[in-house]
Amino acid sequence: MARPAVILVGADKGGVGKTTVARTLIDYFGAHQTPTRAFDTEAPRGTLKRFHPELTEVVDVTSVSDQMKIFDTLGSADAKVTVIDVRAGLLSSTLQALTDIGFLESAKKGQITFAVFHILGSSIASLQEIAETARVVGDANYFLVKNFINNTTFFEWDPATYNSYFKKIKGAEEITIPKLNEMAYEQVEVASVPFVSFIGNKGVKGEAANNSFVLRGYVRHWLGNVWGEFDRVKLVDLVSPKIESNVRQVAG
Amino acid sequence: MAFRSSITIVASPRPRVGKTLLARLLTDFHLSEGRLVAAFDLNAGERTLAQFLPDKTTTASIREISGQMALFDHLVAHEDLTKVIDLGHESFESFFSVAHQIDFVEEARRRSIAVAILFTITPDQTSIGAYRGLRDRFSRATLAPVHNEILGPAQHRDKYPLATGGPGVVRMPALAPGLRRYIETPPFSFADSGKVSTMPPDSQSELQRWLRRIYLEFRELDLRILLADLRHSIQFGSGT
Repeated sequence: MARPAVILVGADKGGVGKTTVARTLIDYFGAHQTPTRAFDTEAPRGTLKRFHPELTEVVDVTSVSDQMKIFDTLGSADAKVTVIDVRAGLLSSTLQALTDIGFLESAKKGQITFAVFHILGSSIASLQEIAETARVVGDANYFLVKNFINNTTFFEWDPATYNSYFKKIKGAEEITIPKLNEMAYEQVEVASVPFVSFIGNKGVKGEAANNSFVLRGYVRHWLGNVWGEFDRVKLVDLVSPKIESNVRQVAG
Repeated sequence: MAFRSSITIVASPRPRVGKTLLARLLTDFHLSEGRLVAAFDLNAGERTLAQFLPDKTTTASIREISGQMALFDHLVAHEDLTKVIDLGHESFESFFSVAHQIDFVEEARRRSIAVAILFTITPDQTSIGAYRGLRDRFSRATLAPVHNEILGPAQHRDKYPLATGGPGVVRMPALAPGLRRYIETPPFSFADSGKVSTMPPDSQSELQRWLRRIYLEFRELDLRILLADLRHSIQFGSGT
C-alpha cells in the first residue's frame, strides 16, 4: 500500500496567494495522474472549493471532528495526496495540533509523507513565522514559496536576515511562483475553473468555453513555469516515488 | 496537413528598410490571387499601411494586454482570411516575445494557419542577432530573409542562415526612381487598375514588370511554406 502524502499550504497572513498555490498543486498532481483530495479551511465558503468543487471539502482544522475527517481517512481514502489549504493565521496552530495528535510523529517514522508549503509575504513579519513553524515542523519537507503572482516585491527583505531564517529549517527549499498577467489571473477567477481547464478552453462542467487565446497562452506559459519549479524540487517523487516525473505538458 | 490560410509577418528591428512597401505588395498580391485579405498595421507613429490600404488595414497596438487580445485572438480566428502584418521596428521585440509566450505559431497551426516571417536583412549586428533569435524561438514558422535591393548589394547574406528545405532569400527588386512618385501617394493599391491606368504607358509596363518579378517571388514563397510543412510531416510521420 502506497504511503499517503499530506501537503499543508499555509501562510501567516492573508492575501499572499496560498489558495493560488494550492490550485497549481492540485492541477499538477492531476496532470501526473495522482489522485488528490483537498481540504479548504476557509469556512464557511472556501475559495479553493469554488475552483475544485469535486475534490474539495471545507473543514475547520481546529475542530476535532474535522481533524478526524482529514487524518483518520488518510489510509482509506482513494486519494494518494491530501492538500490542505490552511487559512491565514492558522499555520502555526495547525502545526501545533498536528503535533498533539501524533501526526508529526508518524511522519517522522515514515508512515506518512508530510510536506509544508509556506507561502511568504512581502514583509519581515512573515519571516519571523518561519522560525516558529520550523520549531514544530522538524523533518517535514519544507518549501518556502516566494509568490510573485501579484507582482509582490521582496524589496523589504534584507538578504542576510532572510538567509538566517532560511537556514533554520534543515533542508528547506525555495520555490518561486512567477508573476501572472493581471487580466489573465482575473479571467481565471471569473471563470471559476482550474487553471488547466482555462488553458484547455473548458468551462465549469467541461463544456467548450470562449476564453481569449492570448490569456490562455499567458496562463499556460505561467503554469508551465510553476510546474517547472515543482519538477525541480521533485515533488512527484516525494509523494509517489514510483511515478516518473516527466509530464510537463500543460495542455493538449 | 493542408493550410487553409497564412499569416505573414513583415519584420525587422530596423526602421526604413521597406517593410511597409513589402506589406503593401503582399496584401495586393494575395488580393490578386483572389484571397480574402486582412492587413494589420503595427507601427506606432505614422500608420502608413493604413493610409495606403485603408479598406484592408486594421491598426493595432500591443502595448496593453487588451490590444494583444484584440490582435492575437483575431489572428488565430477567421481561418479563411489571409493576414499580413506590418510590424513596426519599435514593436518588434514585444510582438515576438508575446507570440513566443502564448505559443502563437503552434495555436495557428492547430487551426490550419501557416505562419511566415519575412525578415528584411541588413548588415547590422542587431538585425543578425534578431534573425537568429527568431529562428531559435519559432522553429515551426517559415522564416524567409528578404533582400530589398534598393538598400544595396547583400554581401551580408551569409550572416542569415537559411533553414534546410525552407525558402531562399526573397528578392525585392528596386523600383525605377521615376515610378516611385506614382506609388508613394496614398491611398494606393497595386491591385487597383483604375489608378494604374492613369500612368503613362511606359511607366505602366515598367510597373507591371516589377510587380511580376515580386509576385513570382511571393508565389515561390507560398510553395516553400507548403513544402516545408510537407517535409516536416514526412520527417516526423505525424501528418498533424
